[in-house]
Formats: sequence, C-alpha cells, structure tokens
Amino acid sequence: MSPVMILLVSMAQQMSMFLVIAYLLSKTPLFLPLSNISARLPNGLVIYLIFSAFCILASLFGHTVNDAIANTRAVGAVLGGLLGGPLIGTAVGLTGGLHRYTLGGFTDLACAVSTTLEGLLGGLVHLWVRKRGQFDTQLFSPKRALVVTFFAELLQMSLILLIARPFEQSLELVRQIALPMLLINSIGAGMFMMMIQDRRKLYNKFSSAGSDQALRLAERLVGVLPSQLDHASAAQVAKIIQQETQVAAVGITNETEVLAFVGLGDDHHRVGETILSAQTLQSIRENRVVFADGIATPYQCSHSQRCPLGSALVVPIRHADNTVIGTVKLYEGKRRLFQSINRSLGEGIGRIITEQLTLSQHHEQKQLLSQAELKVARAQVNPHFLFNALNTINAVIKRTPETARSLVSDLSLFLRINLKRNQSVSTLAQELEHANAYLHIEQVRFADRLTIEQEISEDLQQLVLPTFTLQPIVENAIKHGTSQLLDGGVVRIYSRIEQGLPELVVEDNAGLYAPDPEGESTGLGMNIVDIRLKHHVGRESGLKVECEPGDYTRVIIPLTGES
Amino acid sequence: MRAVIVDDEMLAREELKDLLTEFDDIELVGEFSNGVECLKGLPKCRADVLFLDIEMPMITGLELASMIDTASAPDIVFVTAYDQFAIEAFEKNAVDYILKPIQPERLQQSIERLRARSPHQAPAFESMVKDKCLTLIPCHHGQATKLVRLDAFEYAFSDVGGVHLWDGAGQVHTHLTLKVLEERTPFIRCHRQYLVHPQAIREICQEPDGNAVAHTLSGQQVPVSRRYFKVLRDLFGIS
Repeated sequence: MSPVMILLVSMAQQMSMFLVIAYLLSKTPLFLPLSNISARLPNGLVIYLIFSAFCILASLFGHTVNDAIANTRAVGAVLGGLLGGPLIGTAVGLTGGLHRYTLGGFTDLACAVSTTLEGLLGGLVHLWVRKRGQFDTQLFSPKRALVVTFFAELLQMSLILLIARPFEQSLELVRQIALPMLLINSIGAGMFMMMIQDRRKLYNKFSSAGSDQALRLAERLVGVLPSQLDHASAAQVAKIIQQETQVAAVGITNETEVLAFVGLGDDHHRVGETILSAQTLQSIRENRVVFADGIATPYQCSHSQRCPLGSALVVPIRHADNTVIGTVKLYEGKRRLFQSINRSLGEGIGRIITEQLTLSQHHEQKQLLSQAELKVARAQVNPHFLFNALNTINAVIKRTPETARSLVSDLSLFLRINLKRNQSVSTLAQELEHANAYLHIEQVRFADRLTIEQEISEDLQQLVLPTFTLQPIVENAIKHGTSQLLDGGVVRIYSRIEQGLPELVVEDNAGLYAPDPEGESTGLGMNIVDIRLKHHVGRESGLKVECEPGDYTRVIIPLTGES
Repeated sequence: MRAVIVDDEMLAREELKDLLTEFDDIELVGEFSNGVECLKGLPKCRADVLFLDIEMPMITGLELASMIDTASAPDIVFVTAYDQFAIEAFEKNAVDYILKPIQPERLQQSIERLRARSPHQAPAFESMVKDKCLTLIPCHHGQATKLVRLDAFEYAFSDVGGVHLWDGAGQVHTHLTLKVLEERTPFIRCHRQYLVHPQAIREICQEPDGNAVAHTLSGQQVPVSRRYFKVLRDLFGIS
C-alpha cells in the first residue's frame, strides 16, 4: 500500500472514532447547545469546550508523518466557528493551535496559525450566513460544513508551505498528507454536522407541541377554558401549561393586564397588574409569537432587575376571528443551561388555546342562541289572533255556551303551551297539540269558510322538531292563505315520505305565497322557523315552499330529527 | 235607517245583527261577507248606513269605502278588532269607528250620532275620496273575481250590462261605477259613457261635426264628445 493510502485509512479510522464519540454525545443534553445558534454563554461555552477538546484529541491521536501530524483537527476548529461564530471559532482554533504548538515538530507554528485561522474562517462564514438572515437552515447544512472545511484545509496546506521550513520537507509532507487530510476532514465535518442537524430536527419536533405533550395539554385544557378568560380560569390554565411543559413560569394576560402567573418570579409578577413587558405588548399589537430567548434577543423582566427569569416566549391568544384577546407567556430562568422553550412550542400552545377557546365559545353561543330563538318564537304570538279569539267567544257565548266553553279551553291550552314550553325541541305530537288548539279556535271563527283536513302517520308522532315550528306555519296558511279567499278555504296537514325521508306538509288552497313579502306579512315568523329548523337538522334542511298561484301553497317541514 | 253589514265572519255578523235589533229605527236591509259581494249588491239596498269590517279578503273595508259610489252614499261605521286602523279611518272621515267586541253602549252612541245627521248632509266619508286613491280595481271575468292594477286598462265604458274596462286585449266587467272611476282614478271623462286613461291615448282626431275620436295605444277607438273634447284639449295643451 502506498504511504498515502495508509495515511488515508488511518485517518478514516481516526475520524470514525470521533464520529462514534460524537454520536454518543448527541444522546446527552450536552449536545443541545450545539443545535441552538448563539454566540453567548452558556451555549458558547459548551461549543468552545466540545470543539477544543475535539481539536486536542485530534492532535493527540493524529498519525505522525515525517515529524508532523496528519490529523482531523480542522473539523473541530471549523465546526466551532460555524456554530459559535468568529469569537468562539477563533478561541477553539487558538486552543487547538496552542496545544498543537506544544507538541513540537517542524510544522508546529504553521499548524498553530492555520488552526486558529480555520476557526476564524468558520466563524466568518457563520457571520455571513446570519447576515443574510437564513441561518436556521443554512448554518446546519452539512454540505456547507464540508465545503468550508475543504477550503480551510487548503488554507492549512498553503500555510505549511509558506511557514514551515525547510521548504523541501514541507513540500514532501504536503504531497503525502494533502489528499487524505482534505478528504477526511471535509467528509468528517459534513457527517458531524449531519448528526447535529438530525439532533436539532428531532429536538424541534419533540418540543413543537405536535407530540404527546401537546395532546395531553389539549386534553387537560378541555372544559377549563371558558369563552372569556377570567382570573380563576387563567390561573388554572397557567398551572396546567406549566405542569405539562415544565417551564420555569407561565403567565397569562388579557389585552391589558396580567390574569395569572405561576412559577419562578411569582413574588413580583403580580396578578392584576397592567402589562409592562415590551414583548407582550408587541405580541398583542402584531398578533404573533414573540420570543426573547435571552441570547439573540435579550429579555429583562420589567418589574425587577433581580428577576430570575431570563427568557420569555409570548404567545398571542386569538379569537376564532383571529383577533388577539390576550397572551400566554412561558418563561425560563436565567441560570438554566438548556432551554426547553422555542418558537414552535409557542405556536403550538397558541393554536391549542385558540381552538379550546373557540370550542367553548361555540358551545356557549349555541346555547344562548337556542334560548334566544325560543324566546323570539314565543314572542311571535299574534295579538290579532288573541283579539279574534276573544271576539269569537264573545259572539258565541249567548247562543251556544258549549262552543264558548270549548273555545276557552282551547285558548287556554294554546296560551299555556306558548308560555310554558321551554324545551328547544318537541315531539311532533306536542307540536300538533299546539297547532290543533289554534286550529279549533280559527275553525269556529271562520265557520264554513274554513275546512281542516289532517292525515298524519302514527309512526311519526314521536319525531322531534324545534318547538313552535308547526303552529306558525299553520297560522300563516290561514292568515295569508285561506282567509284571503272569498269562500271555500281548505287547510290540509299531512305527512308523507319523500325519497325515504319523512316530511310534514301544510297546504292551503289559496296559492297566495309571495316569496318577497313587504312589511309584516310572511316575514319574521317564517324566517325564525326556517333558521331554527336548519340549526336543528342541518344546513340543507330548512322549510321548502311550493306554490301554484291561485291553486295551492305547500310548506314542507323536514322530519329528519331523531326520535 | 236602512243598515247593511259587511263582515267576513259569520259570527261577527250575527253578533252585530243581534245588537241592532235593540234599535227600533234600524232596519237591516243587507248583509255581505266580503267587499266584492257588497259592491255588487249594495246599489239595490239603498242603504243609509254601512257597518263595515276592515280585515276582509281581497278588498279591505278601507278600500271598499273608496269604491262605493257617492250616489248610493251611505254613512259608514267601521267595525274592527284592531285599533291600528283608527287613525286612518278617522282621516277618511268615517262617521264612526267601533272596536270589537262591540259594547252595546258604544253602539248606541254611534247610532245617536247617525240620527243627528241631517239627511241632506253629504255623506261623511265623501271628502276622503276626492283624491285619486284607487289603484286596484275588482273585476269579474266569467266566474272569477280578480283585483287588477288600474294601469292595465286603457278606457272604461258603460252599457246596459254595466261598466266594462278594456285592458288592451279584451274587456272585463266591474261593479264600480263610472262616477267612482272618474272621481278616484286618473281616468278622465271623454264621453257620457266613456272614460279614458290619459296615458293610453296615442292620438285624437277631430271629426267635421265637432266630435272626436281618441286612438289608444292598442289601436282602439274611443269616442270623444264635443263637450269633453274641449277638456281634453286643455289638458293636453292643444290650442
């Protein structure tokens, strides 16, 4: 085997060992700072220590060639710079370089200088990438690490040729080690970076509230969140979030004041205080997650200089219509080495809370609506009908007291149902009872001008429909239908099965239905019935009206409600 | 006093009939269950007073009041269950306005008021119908009764069979008199037996004898007598 091949294999073995160590390290929390971009402590410190150690070990385990050492130091220096920035990079390079210098040999100075410059090069690339504002994906690109290391090694080779003397010896050395070092270091750096990138992806996924944690959080928040945040519910929600996310502290605000605060710093973060924090105000104003990670974006508690909290994630709480109604704030302590909060966690929590809020709002509105609907439907009792009924009673009282008595009992039944029935749904049998009380009175009033026919299947009597559906329709059939005929009015109420679905038909023989009535005619009452039916059985299932002018008007009520 | 009751509810008519029997000087000469029947039958009744319900099919009591010829000219007492019509009824100068259920004392007052009116006095409701207030005309075509917009007609004429309206394609019969149409619609008199809608006239041609013929948009010819030609000429600004 040629000396170059031997060297290549030896260096590959060396690199493999380092990569195995790196892989094992990647399973420990020690690796976390590597995947967080930062030039500041403690992240920077960890980066410095890890990559300096890498450089030193690389020098120690290097393959001695002609009084020099073929090594993988460059990987440590370049990655240190790429991840830590120029300052950390230079520090790593310098440490590795100085250590190398102490090992002696004719290339000691050249190696020391070049390693330092390699660290700086990595750092400069870090700066350049960040300036272009795309650091997240680009900094952790294995391809970029590979390329940068390749050039770093080219730089080292040139420096050896420039600095190390005698020149013939350096030339001979470079001829032997250039290829293996260029290859192994570049590939090694790329693989190392790939490992960091994987770790980072895993970490983000794990903490992005898309996982079990988020599900548990959502589950625990069900029913806790009311449609409007108040102190009690906010405190409960804050507690749950803190327990589930394990952050140092959790605060909840509405648009103006702090509603709840639990955890570290609760001695001076007080409930009821006006919002002071610039991040919170910004989050409310701009309706987005604001992350003061305490590193790239500084965080300072607005209440106390001595506050132990060092970073804050502010998540806007949104209404269904996307307006901000408050914030959730997650804090980490200053002394905490590794952060467990990040932007995607915030966004996840924001979504969960908004969903829960929307859900309870929806629920509440639905309840309110059905109550309001019932009230409106009840308020539709036509005063004219009452007067007419009283007049009819008045007219028959002398001549046929029996009829008068039955009219009074029908009227009282009608009124009792109207005033007392407070379930939002009723059975068809109950609806028919209501409509019949009404019809009996009208029948006496109109006498021979009105005929009523009913044919309703017994099987359908227990089907359910919104309370006060049938009577208004029957009333309409008379008021805007048969009562406008000079004589011979007929109202028919019958059930039928249409395409497998049961329906109730109220038909009059006037055929005077006007789809766009002016004023009070068919307007409000029918609209309410229609809307409530749609709420009850679904969008498509409102009233249907068929009309043949001068012949008939048919109002069709779907009976798809469950028994 | 000869009285007529118009109410679509049989029980209400019975009730009022009962109450009216208490008054010796009231003679019930007719009862109708709707406005259409009333227009047809009223001229034969020669009524002095009309007890008129307001809420009735097709033609309300208020509309009916403005369709009655002042020649048959009864006084009108509105009888209704709803006080929402009170203001309108009084603007129409009805003699009176009684709410259902009718209190006998209230009916008594009303009848005393009627008795106090001099027989030569113009019907109380006459002033209310001076304006051109009729827009829907009750018409008969065979057995069917319909309300038709006035604008659908070009001219009206009377013959032994009654009053007829020409709608551009055919003629219908109405129980309204020419006098009512002349007074309460934009129709203008052009002949003793003819009224014409001014907007339906295409041209008027004068004959040598001083009479004229109005040609309508649908090509009909309507006679214009010498006497009314002058009126038309002034109306259209012809010198």
